[in-house]
Amino acid sequence: MTAKPTTNAMPLLPLSGGGREGVSEEKTPLVAIRDLHKHFHVGGSLFTPPATLRAVDGVDLDIVRGETLGLVGESGCGKSTLARTLIRLHKPTSGSITFDGTDVATSSERDLTPFRRRVQMIFQDPYASLNTRMTVRDLIAEPLEIARIGTPASRTAKVHELLARVGLHADHANRFAHEFSGGQRQRIGIARAIALEPDLVICDEPISALDVSVQAQVVNMLEDLQDQLGLTYLFITHDLSMVRHISDRIGVMYLGKIVELASNTDLYARPSHPYTQALLASIPVPDPTATRPAEPMRGEIPSPLHIPPGCRFRTRCPLATDLCARAEPELRDIGNGHLAACHYAGDAAPQQAA
Amino acid sequence: MTEPILSVRDLKTSFFTQRGEVQAVRGVSFDVYPGEILGIVGESGSGKSITCMSILRLLKPAGRIKSGSAIFDGQDLMTLSEADLSDVRGNRIGMIFQDPMTSLNPTLSVGEQVIETILRHRKATRAEARARAVELFELVRIPSAAERLKSYPHEFSGGMRQRVMIAIALACDPKLLIADEPTTALDVTIQRQILGLLRDLQQRLGMAVILITHDLGVIAEVTDRIVVMYGGLVMETGPVRDLFATPKHPYTRGLLASVPDLRDDTHRRLTPIPGSPPDMAHPPSGCPFTPRCPHAMRICATDLPPIFGIGQGARCWLHHPEAPPSLLPSREKVPEGRMRGPSP
Repeated sequence: MTAKPTTNAMPLLPLSGGGREGVSEEKTPLVAIRDLHKHFHVGGSLFTPPATLRAVDGVDLDIVRGETLGLVGESGCGKSTLARTLIRLHKPTSGSITFDGTDVATSSERDLTPFRRRVQMIFQDPYASLNTRMTVRDLIAEPLEIARIGTPASRTAKVHELLARVGLHADHANRFAHEFSGGQRQRIGIARAIALEPDLVICDEPISALDVSVQAQVVNMLEDLQDQLGLTYLFITHDLSMVRHISDRIGVMYLGKIVELASNTDLYARPSHPYTQALLASIPVPDPTATRPAEPMRGEIPSPLHIPPGCRFRTRCPLATDLCARAEPELRDIGNGHLAACHYAGDAAPQQAA
Repeated sequence: MTEPILSVRDLKTSFFTQRGEVQAVRGVSFDVYPGEILGIVGESGSGKSITCMSILRLLKPAGRIKSGSAIFDGQDLMTLSEADLSDVRGNRIGMIFQDPMTSLNPTLSVGEQVIETILRHRKATRAEARARAVELFELVRIPSAAERLKSYPHEFSGGMRQRVMIAIALACDPKLLIADEPTTALDVTIQRQILGLLRDLQQRLGMAVILITHDLGVIAEVTDRIVVMYGGLVMETGPVRDLFATPKHPYTRGLLASVPDLRDDTHRRLTPIPGSPPDMAHPPSGCPFTPRCPHAMRICATDLPPIFGIGQGARCWLHHPEAPPSLLPSREKVPEGRMRGPSP
């Protein structure tokens, strides 16, 4: 299997090992998203205009070839909509998505075909995402058939090779998905996603539905596949412990925008947006002797139908001032490529737990 | 030592399905003491939720309690009449479930549902019940309590709905609260609010709590003692600090080792438990963890070990008093990362 990307002069980063510094240096990103918006119109009737739900509301994001970019945030923050817009399951309201030099934001379905082969997705629920009437062989061969790659015999050989890659046996090929456990089903879903040797794999909560003891199996396998195949991952999750383990860089989303973006080490060592600080402080630590922060973050995420003007986090922010109500903070570099969208991040750093 | 408020002994529950008998709970015993939070931790299919549903006799029709007792406040819930039992449920034992949307009636205002619970179990006028409902909403920190009584469940967020559920569960001052994955459906920031609230209310009201969860972080954060379940059995039990510091059962060790350590900067590879949980339609005759256990011996596959040890007990042959000490996995050999103590 030779899926190594042919980029010149850009050594793949040592992914599962380290490679946490300098990920976002001057390189042509695989994906460049600029000022992306995805709005939905909801409700409305003959007499009342529909309301606008701003699910993705101005996102700039680069994904570098070979990295794992983590994307975290609470439900309703727009992280899944961003992923679905990126792979063009949704048509963007505005903004651009450049994939390996080609703008795919406005392409027609026909022009998207080559792009679709190069970007694949792993879904959260391995029970819902696999057709129960298809054998494992047919499930994994389906992408190859759609792309008209190989003969039935060569596809079967490829299926066997893929099964081995994800730690399943060749004789599993004739069985049906319902005969497998959740972890094994997720392996089948992963085999399907890598069948076309994609460049980018979007992992949308790929381990959330799995048992704790099985999660680590799947995460280790994803890391191995990345090393072997040179994959780039966009890893979406609400599990703040696992995202730190697997990612090189992490973006934090809040109400449709990225509010902080940094290398994983930097983000956890120096969270600079008050939202990130509150989020990280909320993680339950599996250590009964750990000290807990006294005050949880107040309130709940506002509706994306009514995003507060100014800074969108100010309604829950312990540091909010008049300035935050007047002006929306830009996502700016506060040093070493650490980006934060807060008027008070960096120099005028808010007080934070050590 | 004080008397337990709930004493479960040798509880066995099976589901009779097309696939045959699925032995979900296979002889579970534990005690809950007044004023403590007992955590029951386990993966899906371990029997943790079915254990608690059995205690309240709230099983689906296919489920049957085969044997065992559950002495609550001097009465065996297993032999109580249905009428007496409904006086216990929601009155002396409160309940909260994972998904507050499906537990609340969508066609009634939340206030009506709180008032209904109070009137069912207490001699009170409607006005008194309403005043109590406002008091409860304030207790669970729902802002503008009096007005929010008129709202319907769909008008609340997930976190607020869970607060309503807690208010209903606390309506009659229960001695015991059973919370089944109460924060699993919530975001982390809201989870922290709800866990803090539960901890706070438990201390203020002095009730006992059984908290069922698969999340080791949640367990570490709020519980006093824990019961680790696997394959329908209690595998290990003890005070939460001891169990996290020196897990005795290989399953507990594996579970603790498989989650990433937030404070670990080295990015080391995770240590998963190989294989998958047992199929309870065909439960193994020996220890259910045998096929996945790195220390399995010949006896493990054939004979189910009892729980060895007092205070912190583990259902594992390695802890048999006559097992040679060399069999015990040394602390250094345990998947490192989770263990604190003498290791550098």
